[in-house]
Amino acid sequence: MLIDVKDLFKIYNEGKENEVRALDGITLQIDRGEFVAIIGASGSGKSTLMNVLGLLDIPTYGYYHLDGTDVTTLTDKQQAHMRNRQIGFIFQGYNLIPDLSAAENVELPLIYQGLSLDEREIRVEEALNRVGMFDRSDHKPAEMSGGQQQRVAIARAIATHPPIIMADEPTGALDSKTGRHVLKILHNLHQDGSTVILITHDNSIAATAERIVRISDGKIILDGTREEAGL
Amino acid sequence: MNFKQAFKIAAKSIAAKKGRSALTMLGIIIGLAAVIALVSFAQGQNKWINDYYASLGDNTINISASTWDGRDISEKLYSYCQKMDEYILGVTPNYRCWGDINVKYGAKTLSTYNSDWDAQPQVTLGNQQFTLCLNYELEKGRGLSYLDIKNLNQVCVLGSKLAKNLFNYADPVGETITINGTPLTVVGVYKECDPQNFNNKDNVLLLPYTLKRLFSDQVDTGSFVAKARDANSVTMAISLVNGYLPGLVGQTGWGYAESPNTWQDQSNEQNRMQQMFLGGIAAISLLVGGIGIMNIMLVTVTERTREIGIRKAIGAERKSIIAQFLIEACLICGLGGIIGIAIGYLATAILCKLVLGFIVWPSVTVTMGAFAFSVAMGIIFGLYPAVKASGLQPVEALRAE
Repeated sequence: MLIDVKDLFKIYNEGKENEVRALDGITLQIDRGEFVAIIGASGSGKSTLMNVLGLLDIPTYGYYHLDGTDVTTLTDKQQAHMRNRQIGFIFQGYNLIPDLSAAENVELPLIYQGLSLDEREIRVEEALNRVGMFDRSDHKPAEMSGGQQQRVAIARAIATHPPIIMADEPTGALDSKTGRHVLKILHNLHQDGSTVILITHDNSIAATAERIVRISDGKIILDGTREEAGL
Repeated sequence: MNFKQAFKIAAKSIAAKKGRSALTMLGIIIGLAAVIALVSFAQGQNKWINDYYASLGDNTINISASTWDGRDISEKLYSYCQKMDEYILGVTPNYRCWGDINVKYGAKTLSTYNSDWDAQPQVTLGNQQFTLCLNYELEKGRGLSYLDIKNLNQVCVLGSKLAKNLFNYADPVGETITINGTPLTVVGVYKECDPQNFNNKDNVLLLPYTLKRLFSDQVDTGSFVAKARDANSVTMAISLVNGYLPGLVGQTGWGYAESPNTWQDQSNEQNRMQQMFLGGIAAISLLVGGIGIMNIMLVTVTERTREIGIRKAIGAERKSIIAQFLIEACLICGLGGIIGIAIGYLATAILCKLVLGFIVWPSVTVTMGAFAFSVAMGIIFGLYPAVKASGLQPVEALRAE
């Protein structure tokens, strides 16, 4: 099992009057090669779930094994290592570093991985070609459209060849045509063997996934195929 | 994550944020350059004034006493002064001869009565320490010696202008001149020391003071010049002599001891205030530069916090983020500091050369102190967002708005 989560809680202000249970006992298994859409209304806890699954945030309680490793006991350094090698993130707001060019942004995780200059060049070219952005290598994020920035962000996510791609509302800030293009790239990655976890509130986008997980108030209320979800 | 990679990322980050890097450097450059230039200029001014007084005769003490009842007190005063060797390097009689004196060499005669003022020989009686005490330097030959004094040798030393007037370009050393018919052998010639002719010092004709009988009553005895060991000794020696004089001269005479150092002390005080004033201005510019650095660093905290969140999300370790920010701050501040020092030195050179005519290089203490201050400011405020944000969970850092 690639991702194995049992009774995961993320509780803010625990024990106080304003206690918020963003994750309220999540149990979820995701296998290698799956394409999973996590859907839910805003505030349902789906982004918190992705942050915890992607080691961007720590759960308050719970059992989380990633590729057989208990990640809740990892040090900061080991977590950084995991984020670098295992997971590629795609954010709604792209989160590119504005002062660096497209190629430099894509190169960053490879530098942190410790690859040599030659290897990095090959990987950067490969990743940018994959999303059709190689001709924009030298452009800064501000010189690109939203869709182009998101494609660069995808290139950055896949540059280290991580087994898992996590995308949090990747099309949320894009028009529908550009959004479909981005979605197509994610499906291509899935066909090439990546595990893709897609977070969205948009049913039409979720409907392209084989498996749908619906979340409400921090709990999974449905986990099944797109037919079972009624999409 | 090794140093090379952190360095690479830091260099990339600096190059990518040229505007911010340049502004940060500017704060350091201006602060450093101002401190260096102003402090050095103040030091240069101080040196200029000290040199001026040194040329007048550093740590010189003029002592004079006389009576109007005919008692000769000069021997007593002289021996009293000689006993002050704790404070003085030497003391010499400085007796001037007045009256009609004719100095002859061959067919040439210079007269105190008939020659122009700037060609009148200043016949002076002194001892072997005259050269030292009156700040002369020898051009040729030797000065008076102890034996000249003791044996009443009929020798003399000439000032440069007097030597030129008598001998033109011939070598006076070993020649014999006459003063009112008494033959004297020239043993030395002084270097020119008073080109502006303030005191007619270059027309001096120095004889052993023991020859004063040659001039009988035409000699002003009772004048001495002492050379103190240092500025503090000047004060001590003057107060000793001034304490001794009233008892010596009694009700029927007068006497005093004074030094150009007294004026120098006043100007030193003024100078010290000016130095403090300029130093204050310099310190303020350094502080303003530092605040500028702080400002630029702090306004970018939010932006940098997001950046740190992104870097963490894609797999940067905490220590590589801190290393990156530290190297960034060091590079910017170091480069800015070096440019600032270079500009400060250049400004010092130009300012000193134009205003003072010579260059005083900034002291290493001032340079390093100012450099350390601005680099420390840069590093502290450059590192601040990294230390603060790299400890957060990536999602918290990413949330920074």
